[in-house]
Amino acid sequence: MLLYTMKRLLQSIVTVLLVVTIVFLLLRLLPTDYYFTEEQLIKLTDQQRHDQLAAAGLLDSPFVQLFRFYEDLANLDLGTSRRIQHGVPVTQVIGGKFLVSMRLGLISLAISLFLGVVMGVLQARYKDKFGDHVGTAYTVFVNAVPTLITYSLVLVLGARLFKLPSMYSVRNVARSSILPVVCLSLTSTAGYMLWTRRYMVDELNKDYIKLARLKGLSSRKVMYRHVLRNAFVPLAQYLPYSMLLTIGGSLLVERFFSVPGMGTLLTDAISRYDTSIVQAVVILYASLGVLGVFLGDVLMTLIDPRIRLISKGNTR
Amino acid sequence: MKRIFALLLTLAMMLSLAGTAFAEPITDFVTYQTTANEMETFNILYSQYAKELDVLTNCIDGLLSNDNYGNLVPGLAETWETLDGGLTWTFNLRKGVKWVDYQANEKAEVVAEDFLWGLEWVLNEKKNLAANMSMPSEMLVGAQEYFDYTKELPEADALALGLEKFQEMVGIKAVDDYTLVFTCKAPMPYFATLGSYNCLYPVSGKLLAELGAEGMKAVFYDTLWYNGPYTMTTYVQNNEKVLTKNPTYWNKDIQTFNTVTVKMVDSVDVAFQMYQTGELDNVTLNEANLQTIYRSPSHEFHNHLNEARPTKYSYQIHLVYDKKLEDGSPDVAWNTAIANEAFRLSWYYGMDFTNYLGRVNAINPLNCTNYCYTAANLVATSDGKDYVQHVMDLIGLQPSSETYTRFDAEKGAAYKQQAMEELSAKGVTFPIQMDYYVQGSNQSALDTAQVLKQTFIDCLGEDYVVMNIKTFVNSLIKEVRAPQLASFYINGWGADYGDPINYLGQETYGKDNAFYSRAYSKIDLATDEDLIAQYKEFTALVDAAAAINDDLDARYKAFAVAEAYMIEHALVIPLYVNISWQLTGVNDYSKIFAAYGIQNNRYINWETNKQGYTTEDYVNFAKVYEENRK
Repeated sequence: MLLYTMKRLLQSIVTVLLVVTIVFLLLRLLPTDYYFTEEQLIKLTDQQRHDQLAAAGLLDSPFVQLFRFYEDLANLDLGTSRRIQHGVPVTQVIGGKFLVSMRLGLISLAISLFLGVVMGVLQARYKDKFGDHVGTAYTVFVNAVPTLITYSLVLVLGARLFKLPSMYSVRNVARSSILPVVCLSLTSTAGYMLWTRRYMVDELNKDYIKLARLKGLSSRKVMYRHVLRNAFVPLAQYLPYSMLLTIGGSLLVERFFSVPGMGTLLTDAISRYDTSIVQAVVILYASLGVLGVFLGDVLMTLIDPRIRLISKGNTR
Repeated sequence: MKRIFALLLTLAMMLSLAGTAFAEPITDFVTYQTTANEMETFNILYSQYAKELDVLTNCIDGLLSNDNYGNLVPGLAETWETLDGGLTWTFNLRKGVKWVDYQANEKAEVVAEDFLWGLEWVLNEKKNLAANMSMPSEMLVGAQEYFDYTKELPEADALALGLEKFQEMVGIKAVDDYTLVFTCKAPMPYFATLGSYNCLYPVSGKLLAELGAEGMKAVFYDTLWYNGPYTMTTYVQNNEKVLTKNPTYWNKDIQTFNTVTVKMVDSVDVAFQMYQTGELDNVTLNEANLQTIYRSPSHEFHNHLNEARPTKYSYQIHLVYDKKLEDGSPDVAWNTAIANEAFRLSWYYGMDFTNYLGRVNAINPLNCTNYCYTAANLVATSDGKDYVQHVMDLIGLQPSSETYTRFDAEKGAAYKQQAMEELSAKGVTFPIQMDYYVQGSNQSALDTAQVLKQTFIDCLGEDYVVMNIKTFVNSLIKEVRAPQLASFYINGWGADYGDPINYLGQETYGKDNAFYSRAYSKIDLATDEDLIAQYKEFTALVDAAAAINDDLDARYKAFAVAEAYMIEHALVIPLYVNISWQLTGVNDYSKIFAAYGIQNNRYINWETNKQGYTTEDYVNFAKVYEENRK
């Protein structure tokens, strides 16, 4: 296990560095005009633009810039923002945001995981009954209706019927988080319902379940001790990944409810060509991604002892 | 008799307003901004965007401000004067004004030297990256030279500069703590109006010493020092900012809110939803929401639709005189056609833009009519006549709420015929292809372009011109303007200071600081001699007007002649002013309303009503305002 962990860690570091290097070099392929706002392009002369780029080291060869970037990175210096918050260190810009996203994301993940799995189990248990059809209708509705329309419905109903705040507020976190959390949970609950039901139904049709039933095990025992445990394995693999990615926030929900989280940061930074922010966010997302996959693998082995991460001798 | 009548009318209107006067005013104002307009800097000396200046103008005071009629009023300067026709200007600062931190703790007194520190920052290329330096460098002695000096210095040396070299080179002097003297390059009778613009704003020398140059570049709401009517007590990016009344503010006579909260919303639709649930005190309506309310008399807000006042921007069709094709070669057909005066005049007279104006203001399109290049309310002659009215008299047009008065189908057709004959003789074939660019992701702009295209078809005919709607992805400047691909642009100019030169100077021929000529029309690259002669004539008229510094009336009238010349030769075609519709608890007529500068969004002396104003209230506000103006 230790050997596997070390190997995966090394692979993860290489993957992250590869992603960051590619993104860094791709950003440098764009014309340097993109470093300036429309206003600056209007007002600055060619010479002034050249001077500014030179002063920021942006006219050096991309590989010199890359080397300098890694040198700074080794000193935990991710640079300063050019556009999102002019002159402010990137760590400071990101710092306050990921906690907000993570808090909302974890709450909604917990809600959707709980509701999704419970509803999925009930749907599987009462397959083709009324409750199953209702659950399926909900899943189809959530997936078929465009997300923004669903969010608008939640907003209108929540704000008008329940007098909830229409947007997130740092001065009223509890109440103002309700609508964003509901929106975040809606889609993922449907996802967990769908996959739990599907895996459970698959398991229910397997021979070992028929045998267990023939041996006289109670339906309850069969469902929870055997079916659910086996059906949960594929879901569990993505659980750490989902939990870590809550830090990344949700672009749509955060934009819709003005949540000051990470969700909109990457797109804002790309559209404003704030390269320091883009690089830092890419490092963060890539690291979270590989860590999530790794933890998912580990979790699977804990839930299902039959799964091994390293090959044993004499196995085929 | 006239006076008595005016008095009675005002009295009657005041009585009719009595209902609203007794309505409960808003004490904690909640407004919104879309997230695309989030602030990027808190340094008012660096900012060049309304999204920041609309907030920061409430936090920091400059030398002067404006009132709700656009008049200059004292700010940090109690009085100001020039004794030599505008060459040197003396500003006498008020005593006892405090710099405070965001929690209103006193930090220092505002003194004349703070304005020196402010201007040094603006003119130091390494500190302010050339932002806001164009006007002081054009107007003040030694300003351009100091900018060039800092440009040559190594970064560290430039950032470490104090005031010694600056005072030696630049025409600004702190005579004592409360007297500030500017020396202009030439007499500039309008220089005082620049006192309301952020390029001349102060920054405390003590704050600079505390933060250092790098710290000042990254100044944040909680490290900034304030001297304005509000301090920013909360800032959460893309969420909300809260401005709180500054208890130490020098002007105790003004009315302010206890707090102003600006909520950052995803779209106007969300803002409208929030207005309906009482979470916002105002909302500007998009076309869909406006039409829904307007078409339904039973709608709860039908009687609360209020037409906003025009923004300070004047929108024009800017024609391109050196257009290129996508392969980089000159677009000979277009360049030849647009240099022909009859071709331009066929647009000027032959186009009825009413439907296009309907895209700006769906209810009252003709209220957005704009027949002049300069925006109204910028300056007036001593008899109170607006500068724009002088221009309108010269071109013989008056706005009407019934018809688009510039439109003259017969004249347009005659010029079309003339242009076709003249241009055919030069080998131009018809129809002329014209390329107009809009952002591909902007559906509203695409729809508007479609209306414009239809207007060309209806008014001038497809045998004459064909408008091709083309799209750019992200940047008009990089993707369209730099390669000179557009045949024309529609863009608006808002003045930075109070003089017609700030408008007309942008269109002159052969001048580096003529923004529109250099960046859009590319007239300096045109080759048609008749066109160049007209531009030179226009430029000579502008120069002649600008040289009149001892008689403002004569100056403005001379500028009006120049502007009329430009319009009558259709060198630029005036198009519209922006007037939107809103639901609001704020009387716009009580707000600062200046055609230049950064003062318009100061949350001071606003007359408000928690219940929101009705359409009738607003009609009365407008009448009272106009009466009081007289």
